[in-house]
Amino acid sequence: MAAEIHANRFRLLTEQVGRKFVAGVEDFGYGAALLVESVFWLLAGRWRQQRVRLSAIVQEMMDIGVQAIPVVTILAFANGAMMAMQGIYTLRDFGAESQVVSGIAMSVTREFGVLIAGIVVAGRSGSAIAARIGTMQMAQEIDALRVMGVSPVRYLVSPILAAMLLMMPILSVLSDAMAILGGGVISVMELHINLDTYTTRVFSELVPGDIFQGLIKSVVFAVLITLVATGNGFNASGGAEGLGRATTRSVVLCIAAIVVADMVFTFFLSR
Amino acid sequence: MNTTPPDTSSQPVIEVNNLVTYYGDQKILDDVSLSVAPGEIMVIMGGSGSGKSTLLRYLLGLHRADAGDIRLFGKNIDTLSSHEWMEIRKKIGVSFQGGALFNSMTVGENVRMPLREHTSLDENTIKIMSRMKLEVVNLAGYEHLMPAQLSGGMIKRAALARAIVMDPGILFFDEPSAGLDPVVAADLDNLILRIRDAMPVSIVVVTHELQSAFKIADRITVLDRGRILMVGSVEEVRHSDNPRIRNLLTRTSEDEPVDVDGYLQRLTEGAMRF
Amino acid sequence: MTFPVEDRQGFSVVMLNGEIDLNNSPDARKVILNSLKKMKHVMVDLSSVEYIDSSGVASLVEGFQYARTNDLEFGLIGVSEAAMSVLRLARLDQVFTIYSSLDERLEHGS
Repeated sequence: MAAEIHANRFRLLTEQVGRKFVAGVEDFGYGAALLVESVFWLLAGRWRQQRVRLSAIVQEMMDIGVQAIPVVTILAFANGAMMAMQGIYTLRDFGAESQVVSGIAMSVTREFGVLIAGIVVAGRSGSAIAARIGTMQMAQEIDALRVMGVSPVRYLVSPILAAMLLMMPILSVLSDAMAILGGGVISVMELHINLDTYTTRVFSELVPGDIFQGLIKSVVFAVLITLVATGNGFNASGGAEGLGRATTRSVVLCIAAIVVADMVFTFFLSR
Repeated sequence: MNTTPPDTSSQPVIEVNNLVTYYGDQKILDDVSLSVAPGEIMVIMGGSGSGKSTLLRYLLGLHRADAGDIRLFGKNIDTLSSHEWMEIRKKIGVSFQGGALFNSMTVGENVRMPLREHTSLDENTIKIMSRMKLEVVNLAGYEHLMPAQLSGGMIKRAALARAIVMDPGILFFDEPSAGLDPVVAADLDNLILRIRDAMPVSIVVVTHELQSAFKIADRITVLDRGRILMVGSVEEVRHSDNPRIRNLLTRTSEDEPVDVDGYLQRLTEGAMRF
Repeated sequence: MTFPVEDRQGFSVVMLNGEIDLNNSPDARKVILNSLKKMKHVMVDLSSVEYIDSSGVASLVEGFQYARTNDLEFGLIGVSEAAMSVLRLARLDQVFTIYSSLDERLEHGS
């Protein structure tokens, strides 16, 4: 009897793991389909009399990109400053504190600039987009679009994807610049060099590949945030509580997705 | 005053044959068949859980049937190309239960949206058409308001204006009177009748409101637990002696005879180990 | 497709026919507005119209408004019951100047 219960529990456990796995694969497939469809409308909408409207893309660019500039600026600046402080403190033991400049230059452009921009966009837009689409889903506005013969993906997702693809690289370059500036201010104070010397050294350390690496990541983040946020919006159900759940889930998954993707990309790109 | 009586001899605009649908493992609609003639007002009536909202979603092509088929304007909607579907969608208007107006647009923009998406009419024509429909639903002058500024009855009327702006051949109306006070609900019923009298349109109304159903229907389909109990005229439904229909009419719930084995099974399923 | 315009006793008569819907109402609109630009008195003959949808009616409304602002005459003749019911729905039957035929208009004098 005990063995039977044990076997039963094991069966339940494996069943659960299996179900989760299938759900995960389903989510992945859903995301891929969403991506393909929204890219399709961006490219081919014109010929199918279902154009993606430029005004919608501009609106999304304002919401996603322009309005994120202050936060990105502050976070990137503070982060650059902190990296400089920590770097100088750590490297001082080796008498190599002046090496902090190249450390900042490389790690900001390759890693932290884009990550900060990504996390800010994930936090702001990841929740806002999921909430907006989720609300529309529950108010049957998505159904209304479909019965009018308007593809919800074309109408809602494609403009977001386009705006993300345009704004994420810009934000991450801004974030790079601000983080380097933040590091510069601390370096000037602590290392007694002037800002010109700092800037010259930063640029002499950087190769195009460093910045390029950040830009590739920013494009990947743009796609991930779009898919996770819109996907969570479309699948929201269960009233106000469900909407809250979808929104939270969207932000958490957006951040998790970009951090994990970042790690994977760093692994391959830094070989 | 119905100037063009429903012509049941010509080809139906909606035809449902033996529709079966599932939600997960649960059967929601079971062998549902019905047809709607041109110019007819068909009311689909049933209590909550009867499957009437599900039936509407399938009629709108929002889901695929598990068995059976649905024909709109004579075309099986499961086998349509996306282009053919688009042509049919232009001839369908839907007023959703909560209105489903787009909250980010004004009332006028909401009403104009189908025209903008599907036609290349002149801007003046589009404006005049949308305002004509707002006149029809008595919302003239409200076009610059946002949906959030409207009352429940006004939202339903705005949604109706959007649904008829393309002069559809079929108008679907989900729960027109739900959540409205009786006077406003009666106005809406009159509006539905006026629209049918003025335009060549078939109207499908899904409702649980008896008063409304009896007032506007040419025929009523009574759904119960996913099956059709009867399809008939208002008089036929009113005088039906089917006990389940009588219950619906008198709003009592019936005590089902208890099936001991099935009942015990439901209560104990997964709870006992022997 | 375009609609014929006949000149009769000082009137331009736009002969709409068949089904006026989303596909051809832009043509109807163009013909009506062009006639109004050329002539002071324009009538639209709806007697051979089997069906007119609201885009067609909207074109009539636009013509009527153009005539009013430019001090021209614009009227409808031969409005069928089906067309009338569409006009009635938006209470436009009380807005348009409607005659049974051109003769009726001529009896009224100018």
